[in-house]
Amino acid sequence: MLEYIGDIFHHFVDPKKRVFLGYIALSVLIALLWLVFIRKKGLKSAIFKVFDKKILLSGSAISDYKMFLINRVLMLVLSPYLLTQLAVATFFYYSLLSIPLSGLISFLSDTPTFVVAVLFTFVFFTFDDFTKYWVHRWMHKWPVLWALHKVHHSAETLNPITVYRTHPLEGILFSLRGAFSQGTVISTFFFIFGDKVDLVTILGVNFLVFSFHVAGSNLRHSHIDIKYWVWLEKILISPAQHQLHHSLDERHYDKNFGAALAIWDWIFGSLHHSEDIDNLILGVEDNDFNPTSITELYLKPLKEISDIAAESLSSFKSLNKIFKI
Amino acid sequence: MKKLIVMIVAVFVVTEVAAHHFYSKFPITLKGYTGDKTNSVSYSGQIARHVLHDSLKKLAGKGDGGSNAAEIEAQMMKYFKGSKEDLDIIAPKTKGDFKIKQTTLNQISKGKNLSGKTYKGVINGWPGQMTGPEVIEFMIKKAAQTKGGFDPATGYNYPQLISKFAMGAVFYNQAVDNYLDEKMAPGSKTNDKPYKDGAYYTYKEHAWDEAFGYWGAVSHGLGLSAKQNYDITKMKDMAAADQNKDGVVDLKSEYNFAHAYYASSFDKGGKTNYYNTVTQAFLDGRKIIAGAKGEKLSSSEKAALQGHIAVINANWEKVIAESVFKYAGSVYKDIVKLEENYSDKAFSTYAKHWGELKGFALALQTGKSNLGETAVKLNRLTGMGPVLMNASQVTGVDSAGNYIKEEAQSWGEFKLHMLKIQKLMVEKFGVKAKGNDMLADMSSLASKVGSSDSAEND
Repeated sequence: MLEYIGDIFHHFVDPKKRVFLGYIALSVLIALLWLVFIRKKGLKSAIFKVFDKKILLSGSAISDYKMFLINRVLMLVLSPYLLTQLAVATFFYYSLLSIPLSGLISFLSDTPTFVVAVLFTFVFFTFDDFTKYWVHRWMHKWPVLWALHKVHHSAETLNPITVYRTHPLEGILFSLRGAFSQGTVISTFFFIFGDKVDLVTILGVNFLVFSFHVAGSNLRHSHIDIKYWVWLEKILISPAQHQLHHSLDERHYDKNFGAALAIWDWIFGSLHHSEDIDNLILGVEDNDFNPTSITELYLKPLKEISDIAAESLSSFKSLNKIFKI
Repeated sequence: MKKLIVMIVAVFVVTEVAAHHFYSKFPITLKGYTGDKTNSVSYSGQIARHVLHDSLKKLAGKGDGGSNAAEIEAQMMKYFKGSKEDLDIIAPKTKGDFKIKQTTLNQISKGKNLSGKTYKGVINGWPGQMTGPEVIEFMIKKAAQTKGGFDPATGYNYPQLISKFAMGAVFYNQAVDNYLDEKMAPGSKTNDKPYKDGAYYTYKEHAWDEAFGYWGAVSHGLGLSAKQNYDITKMKDMAAADQNKDGVVDLKSEYNFAHAYYASSFDKGGKTNYYNTVTQAFLDGRKIIAGAKGEKLSSSEKAALQGHIAVINANWEKVIAESVFKYAGSVYKDIVKLEENYSDKAFSTYAKHWGELKGFALALQTGKSNLGETAVKLNRLTGMGPVLMNASQVTGVDSAGNYIKEEAQSWGEFKLHMLKIQKLMVEKFGVKAKGNDMLADMSSLASKVGSSDSAEND
C-alpha cells in the first residue's frame, strides 16, 4: 500500500513524468497567458475557464482519475514482467557485435563526446516520437487495437490526467514500443560510440522531453485550444491539433497521430491544422459504450476483441470448408 | 583509582574484541599432548606455497628470449617442484619501508613444493589434454624461452597464465576439494586424533588451518578495511600489515596472498564482502573445532561446520568468477583500443589481460564440483589463445609440444564472447562487484532515460 501511495505521489514530483506539478503549473500559466493576451479575456474569466468545474469534474474526468488510480496498481504488479529497454538494448548490442561492421564505423571513434551526447539525445527523442506516431496510427487503423484505444478516445472532456485514460493492455503495448525504440537506439549508439554515449538532461530529464513538457505538453489534453503558426504546426503538434484528433467530427478522423512532432503526420499525410471551433465535440461514436463506467472501460474492449477473434475464426473455418470442397 | 580500573577494563575489552577477530591463537586441545606448545594454529606450509607461487610468477618473466632459457627453466622448476636447498624468496620482497621478515623459504617452512599439490585432473581449457601439473610444467618450459614471459607469436603471457591458473589448481583446489571436503567428510580421521603422529594439533584443527592458509588472508584481516587488506599486498600500508608492531611483515600471518587479496580488491568497491565473509566462516569454523576440546565432533558441530564450508566454497568461487568477469571486460576494452589504433604496447596489454582471464577461467574449473556445461561454454568463449592481429589463434598443440594455429574468429565475434563470458558469470555465479562491466554504461543510460511503463496515451 505504501509503495502504491509513493508511486502515485512520485508521478507528480518526478520531472520525468508529464504530470509533474512544475509542468502543470507552467501549463496553467501558458493557458492563462493565451487566454488573456491572445483570446483577450479578462484575467478572472481566464482563471474560471482554466479551472472550469464542468471540465475538471465532469463524469468523463472522474473516470480518468479512477483509471489513473487503478492502472497504477496494475502497472506496479505488471512492470517487473515487462520487457525493459535494457533487455532489448543488450539483445541488439549482442546482435550488432556479431556483424563485422567495426571496420566500417571505426572512423566515427574520434567524434567528440559532446557531439555524441547531443546526437544521441536528438536521435533518441526523434526515433521514440516516430515509433509513437506509427503505433498510435495502428491503434486507430486495426480493429483489435482500436478496441483498446477507444477507451482513451471515449473521453468527452480532456484534462492532463486523460493521458492515463488508457486500457492496461494498451499500456503494455506502449511499454513494449518504448523498450523497442529506446533499446535499439541505445544499443546502436553504444556499438558505434562506446562509453561516450550520454543523454543531455535538465533536472535529470532528456532536455528535449523537458522542453516538450515545459512548453505545455499537458495542454494537449485540455480544453485550452492553443494553436501555433501554420508553419510550426507542420513541425510540432499544437494542443489544438491534438484536441482535433479527439474530435467526433468525421473530418478529423485519423488525423494528427503525432506525439510531440508533427513532421510524421506531415510526411505520411495525416496532418490537420488547427481550426477555430468553439465547441469541439469529443468522444467516440459508439452507442453501446458508457464512457463513465469503469467496468465497461476495462471489460468492453476485451469483449470486443474476443468478438473480433471469434468472427475471424468463423470466417476462417468457412473458408476452410470451401477449400476442402 | 576509578580511572585506572576503567582503563584496565577498556584495554581488556579491546584486546578481547581484537583477539576474537584473529585467526591466530587457539588452545591445544589434543588429548594426551605433553609438549610445551600453547597454540594449535599452524599453516606455515601453505604460506610457503604462496611464496613459491609468487616467486614462480616473478621468475616466469625473467627469460631473455632464449639464451638463458635452460637456466630460467631449471630455476622455475625448483620453485614448482621444490628443492633440497633453501630457496631465496623472489617475491614478495622488501620494498622501501615495507620490510618483509623472511628472505628464504626455509624460514617459513621446509621442503614444500607446488607440483605435489596441483590438481591432477585433465585441464580441458588448455590445449593438449594435460593434467594440472603437466600444464604448469609445459607453461614453465614455454615461459623460459620467451622474453619477459610474453610470446607475441601466440599472445601468451606466461607469468599471468601460470600464476592465475596455479592459484586455482593448487590453493583453491586443495582447500575446497581436499581439506574442506575429504578431510571434513564422514569416514575421515576424527578430531580426537592427532593430524599425524607427534603432532600437537588434532586432525580437524589442522585440516581446517591448512584450508585457511590456502585462502591467504592475514590473521588480523577481519579488523581491517578492504582497502587496508588490499594495500597490504600492494605493499603500501605497513601500519595495517604489521599487526604486532615489530617493524617487519611476517609472511606467515601479516601478508594477504592470492584469492584473499583478490577478494579485498573487489570488496573495496563496496558492493561485496567476500574477504570478511570467507575469513569469518573460517574463524567461526575453527572456533567450533576448538570448542570440541579434542573430542570427536558431534553431529550438530559437524552440521555447523558444513554450513561454514558451504559459505567458504560459494564465496571463494565467486571471487574467481568476479576475476573472470573483470578480465573479460579488460580484454573487451583492449580489443576496442586495438581496433582503433594498433601498437605493440596495446597488444601486449591485451595479451596480459587475456592471460589473466584464461588463468582465472581455468582456475574456476578446479573447484570441488564439476561445472559441466558452464565450463564448456567458458572454455569455448575464452578460446585456447587470444585472437591475434593476423586473425589467427592457437587451437591446439602437436605431439612435439608446438602450438597449432588456425584461422580465428573475427574481432567483433571475440568481443561478443567477452560479453557472453560476463553474462555467464552473472547467471551462473551471481557476481556482484562486476569490475569492467561492459554493459554498465548501457544500463546506467537506460535508467537515465527512465522506464516507459506508465500506460500513457500521448
